[in-house]
Amino acid sequence: MAVATPTLVGMAEIHVHQGPALYSCIGLGSCIGLVAHCPASGVSGMIHVMLPEAFKDKPIDKPGKFVDVGLPELVKMMAAKGANTNRLVAAYAGGAQVFKIGADVSSRLDIGKRNAEAVKDLLEKLRIRTIAHEVGGSNGRTVTVDIASLTVKVRSINEGEKVLCVLRG
Amino acid sequence: MGSNESSIEQLQDSCLRELTNIGLGHATMALASLTGQNFNMDVPSMSVTAAPDLTCVFTNPEELTVAVSMPFTGDVQGQTAFFFPWASAQRLSRLLTGLAPADLDSIDELFGSTILEVGNILCSSFLNAISDMTGLRMEATPPAVSIDGAQSIVSTLIVEACFQDTQILTLETRIFEESSETLDGRFLCMPASGGLQTVFERLGVAEAA
Repeated sequence: MAVATPTLVGMAEIHVHQGPALYSCIGLGSCIGLVAHCPASGVSGMIHVMLPEAFKDKPIDKPGKFVDVGLPELVKMMAAKGANTNRLVAAYAGGAQVFKIGADVSSRLDIGKRNAEAVKDLLEKLRIRTIAHEVGGSNGRTVTVDIASLTVKVRSINEGEKVLCVLRG
Repeated sequence: MGSNESSIEQLQDSCLRELTNIGLGHATMALASLTGQNFNMDVPSMSVTAAPDLTCVFTNPEELTVAVSMPFTGDVQGQTAFFFPWASAQRLSRLLTGLAPADLDSIDELFGSTILEVGNILCSSFLNAISDMTGLRMEATPPAVSIDGAQSIVSTLIVEACFQDTQILTLETRIFEESSETLDGRFLCMPASGGLQTVFERLGVAEAA
């Protein structure tokens, strides 16, 4: 079997694969990296969202930028590859506020927190089961996923690397 | 309105880079008088890219970086930020206070407030110089410091500064110490597209209606 090539999921991108795959979202600050997997079909996908909601008055350039349109798009793309959308499991990380030193940091736009809330709510609405998540705080994160072993790892400069979860339902 | 985000004319490109050059000249002088060292700067480079494609300031996206950012509001809105690789931030701290944390675990309040103050002075000098020259209102808001991987910081700034834009205009400049000691930083300015037309009008390089 061919060795999977790692897929870098950049800001606002969505990638899906059938079968073994490696994904990574590097340097998540306020953004969130979310991986979903369908155990029945072996279809997986990852999205790197930047903002909770699309702007009502603007055309959507990249659906993967926004939680509210990006997550349904991810599900749609996975379904197109043969995923059973009733059986998806997911894990996600990110949504940090990396600017933590300063007199007035609490007044900064905490987009990370809003992203995390939006992801949580929409996953519930879409009936996608969350296996694990790590959001908030002040550490930037890198998320790597190995679909062959279903391992999701999170690393940060302050805390090093650890296994977030195994994506098993 | 906003239709020309991706089509900055060559003359406008030159103007924005020259503005940055002048603004940063002031910031560099401020840094020199703070530290007693001489600094050089490269010619500013400008890129207009979709947010997702913006390349990282440093070659390693997870490089430990100390950044200070100062958002601005007024006639033009956006984000200014200085980025220092860890070793440069240590050097900066040593120049200013005689002390620097050896590693992440020994970061103290003095280091944080030193970097915060440097950022405050540098970003304010930049904004004031441009504001004085153009008459545009550019009001600094309180700075904040992050000590983290370069890409985590840059991506957060992009989202904060320009979240409504589909194209991100970035002015990037390298500032470095003249002597052999390594203090090598990057300056980023990301103006939101909404105010750019005002800048161009003020400079007399707006496109003919």
